[in-house]
Amino acid sequence: MATIRVIPWAFLLLTAVAAAAPAPADRCDDETFLRRVSLDLVGRQPQPAEIEAFLADRSPDKRAATIERLLADPDWARTWARYFRDVILYRRTDDRAAYMSQPLETFLADRLEKDARWNTIARDLITATGSPAEHGETAIIMAQMGETSDIAAEVSRIFLGIQIQCAQCHDHFTDRWKRHQFHEFAAFFPRVAIRREPGMAAERFEVVSYDVDPRARRGRKKPNPQNPRRGDLEHEMPDLQDPSRPGTVMQPTFFLTGQSLPVGTGDLDRRGAIADWITAADNPWFSKAMVNRLWAELVGAGFYRGVDDMGPDRTPQSPELLEELAAGFAASGHDLRGLFRTVLATDAYQRASRSRSSPDREGFASNCPQRLRADQLFTQVLAAVGVAESQIGKGPAAQARRGNNPPAKGGRKVQLTVPRTMFTQVFGYDPSLPREEVVGSIPQALLLMNSQPLSSALDGDRQFTALGRLLREEADDRGVTQQLYLRTLARHPTPEEVATCLDHVRSTGDRAEGFEDIFWALINSAEFVHRN
Amino acid sequence: MRKHPVTRRDVLRAMSSGVALGSLGWGAVAAAHAADLRKRGKACILLWMQGGPSQFETFSPLVGHKNGGDTKAIATSVAGIQFAEHWPEAAKVADRLAVIRSMTSKEGSHPRASYLMHTGYLPNPTARHPTLGSIVASQLAAQRAGDTCDLPPVVRIGGRGRSDSGAGLLGMQWDPFELRDPTQNPANTTPQVEPPRHLRRLALLERLEGGFAERLPEEAADHKSLYRRATRMIMSDAMRAFDLEEEPEAVRQEYGAGGFASGCLLARRLVESGVSFVEVVSNGWDTHQDNFAKVAELAGEVDRPYAALVRDLDRRGMLDDTLVIWMGEFGRTPQVNPNAGRDHFPRSFNAVVAGGGVRGGQVIGKTDAAGVEVADRPVTVPDLFATFCRSMAIDPTVENMAPAGRPIKLVDGGTAVDELF
Repeated sequence: MATIRVIPWAFLLLTAVAAAAPAPADRCDDETFLRRVSLDLVGRQPQPAEIEAFLADRSPDKRAATIERLLADPDWARTWARYFRDVILYRRTDDRAAYMSQPLETFLADRLEKDARWNTIARDLITATGSPAEHGETAIIMAQMGETSDIAAEVSRIFLGIQIQCAQCHDHFTDRWKRHQFHEFAAFFPRVAIRREPGMAAERFEVVSYDVDPRARRGRKKPNPQNPRRGDLEHEMPDLQDPSRPGTVMQPTFFLTGQSLPVGTGDLDRRGAIADWITAADNPWFSKAMVNRLWAELVGAGFYRGVDDMGPDRTPQSPELLEELAAGFAASGHDLRGLFRTVLATDAYQRASRSRSSPDREGFASNCPQRLRADQLFTQVLAAVGVAESQIGKGPAAQARRGNNPPAKGGRKVQLTVPRTMFTQVFGYDPSLPREEVVGSIPQALLLMNSQPLSSALDGDRQFTALGRLLREEADDRGVTQQLYLRTLARHPTPEEVATCLDHVRSTGDRAEGFEDIFWALINSAEFVHRN
Repeated sequence: MRKHPVTRRDVLRAMSSGVALGSLGWGAVAAAHAADLRKRGKACILLWMQGGPSQFETFSPLVGHKNGGDTKAIATSVAGIQFAEHWPEAAKVADRLAVIRSMTSKEGSHPRASYLMHTGYLPNPTARHPTLGSIVASQLAAQRAGDTCDLPPVVRIGGRGRSDSGAGLLGMQWDPFELRDPTQNPANTTPQVEPPRHLRRLALLERLEGGFAERLPEEAADHKSLYRRATRMIMSDAMRAFDLEEEPEAVRQEYGAGGFASGCLLARRLVESGVSFVEVVSNGWDTHQDNFAKVAELAGEVDRPYAALVRDLDRRGMLDDTLVIWMGEFGRTPQVNPNAGRDHFPRSFNAVVAGGGVRGGQVIGKTDAAGVEVADRPVTVPDLFATFCRSMAIDPTVENMAPAGRPIKLVDGGTAVDELF
């Protein structure tokens, strides 16, 4: 397993932080660290027993050991497969590509688990062909429904962190890119197409190479009037003065290196070549794009402000540190686990959080709270109320239909019928957006406050709910309070919080009702929906 | 035992009888807005015909040409204007409708055309263009400064949660509030416990957030503000707008039965309560097969409530300030296919506008006799969006920032159709 070489952090961070920079935040406490690293790596909060064991562990390298354990967990691959699935599919231009969600997640999870090399994953995504159901790697092409310019834009954005499509209609306003450079880049993708018929379901589409002169095929298949360009073998830069005139045929050329292919090259050779050039170890932008993205996700702010808007004409924060990390990432063979391991070991990652727009965050002086992604939050809600995802919809009625043993007398299986997809429709966001633009919405608050399935899962009178069990087994109200805090916020309550809770239970006059309120309040808290 | 369902009326009763725990402000939040009388500003209702309605079987009948099929034309309240036979009620209010028969676009794929007709832009991966509702609501909010509504500013009724029409770069606060079934309360707007207990929970929540707020004041403040807005909404008297049973029987009958009819009635009630934009979706207009029978059936669901909505708004003095749009993503082919269907046809199609300062009783543009090419006064999608902006006194050149610092105008060029005003 490749590991990025150790970086002289203290020095780099010192040079990165200007003289007037704020004092760095303290190292975060163990509970904060464990919740943060668990949500970041495996998409779930630590369970109470895990927390107690971690706190009791006196070994100096327990944080590093935890990072190793979580990196080896299959949920690491699942969590980041979902993240990159969202990176690709939130930018789909056609809703039929929503179909790709599962195949893409499966492809990415499988690859991340077995061999988490970003260069080979990128290569597969760029060169994909075949049926979307069996080839999740066709997702970028499906998300853009085979449109040449849109595929080019997304490949550059996702893998290089460069918004080259800003030069589609005119030279870039602020960066060096010229209009012809965008179209030369698009010329790597004119021959990839999606074979489909009107009314056909997305899973029956097929991503194919069109290397046959469309004129030779005429007679067999009439040109598609909705997209007359489909089937053209070469990409043309449109004539801006007169778009009805034929454009200029572009030679496939990579704007970063000038490497090019002759007009007439077949589709797989074109896409294979650009995939090689993009993922080359000596292409710094491929490495920097991922380092910048993960750093922003894990530390709370990237070296460049946008995770996918970098490039040679922008000035990053702490450029030496970025260079060092990117070089290490490239030297490791673009090993994603190695990059996580390196970033998570830094002081910058392990510091306490400060509010997002706090000026005291400059120079990575602190970590920063992140609103949980929908998948993390859904997993966390289920864990808090003690429902396994596989048990959703398997309540007594469903069991009875299957002829299973009836539930114990007086007991009812908990049903949490808010499935993951419904949940992600309400809580999902495009992970490439600047996080200050990702705000909570009223339907989100309403779901956590008032959803009927969630409400019944909080019920303290029912035998089979987490709270019902806890109230039966734990006579001490302090103990119940502590357990609820551990389940939801993955930490022990402060003495003030314990006092507030006990006072609430007393004044309610009904133990179950009082703790239901507390459980409800914890799940509806700002702390619950953030990782900090 | 104590888990009986709580109705919104219970909540309101509890609020007004002062049961609320007011010590931390939750009672005050709800009570201050209990009587939400507000003056109405401009608004817009979009009747969206998902799938692409046939222009020929709706408001552009083709008389005397084989492409018209067997569809007959009927007279309307305006001499010289005919509608297809399935629209007798709309024909009665034709004096308030303006039919654009010369819409033209190039986009014939459902998702892309639906995006285009909702946002005025073709989709691309770089920028999520805001849907018309989010544009209207955010711009009207600026016009209505200080005059806020407790309900969500954009409501979509009967949609299927497609991602092609959200608030995009305007931000999630302008996303349409989705309501699948207009006869049901919106999802999760009824507390699962009795109102006093719900308020007690909210007060407890704020007490327990104290420590987090000290460490991360900004995140805590945003969260608190969100929960206050959500609570204000569900405890607002304005929520009564969702209760169609409050409407007199005569009015309900005027709108007729069915989901679309309920949606139209709810749209009027929401606009009346201060909602800026309501979209009501009618599904099933993609009539590749059996076009004639299907459109007759769909028109049977849409005609009556559409006419009732226009008449009702007019009667209440709201029509001048409320633009009512009828449209879908494109039209259908003039030539009838072997399955007695019509296929996608963006080259020439129709849209209908009423209210919002539009002069009714007129037709804009026409096609050739075969219904293929626009023969007079082509209206592009940006022209149509510029027209919407004119109606609502919105400046179409206002720019929003897309990620990567690219400014995007509300409307991409286009000129409002002057004759409509």
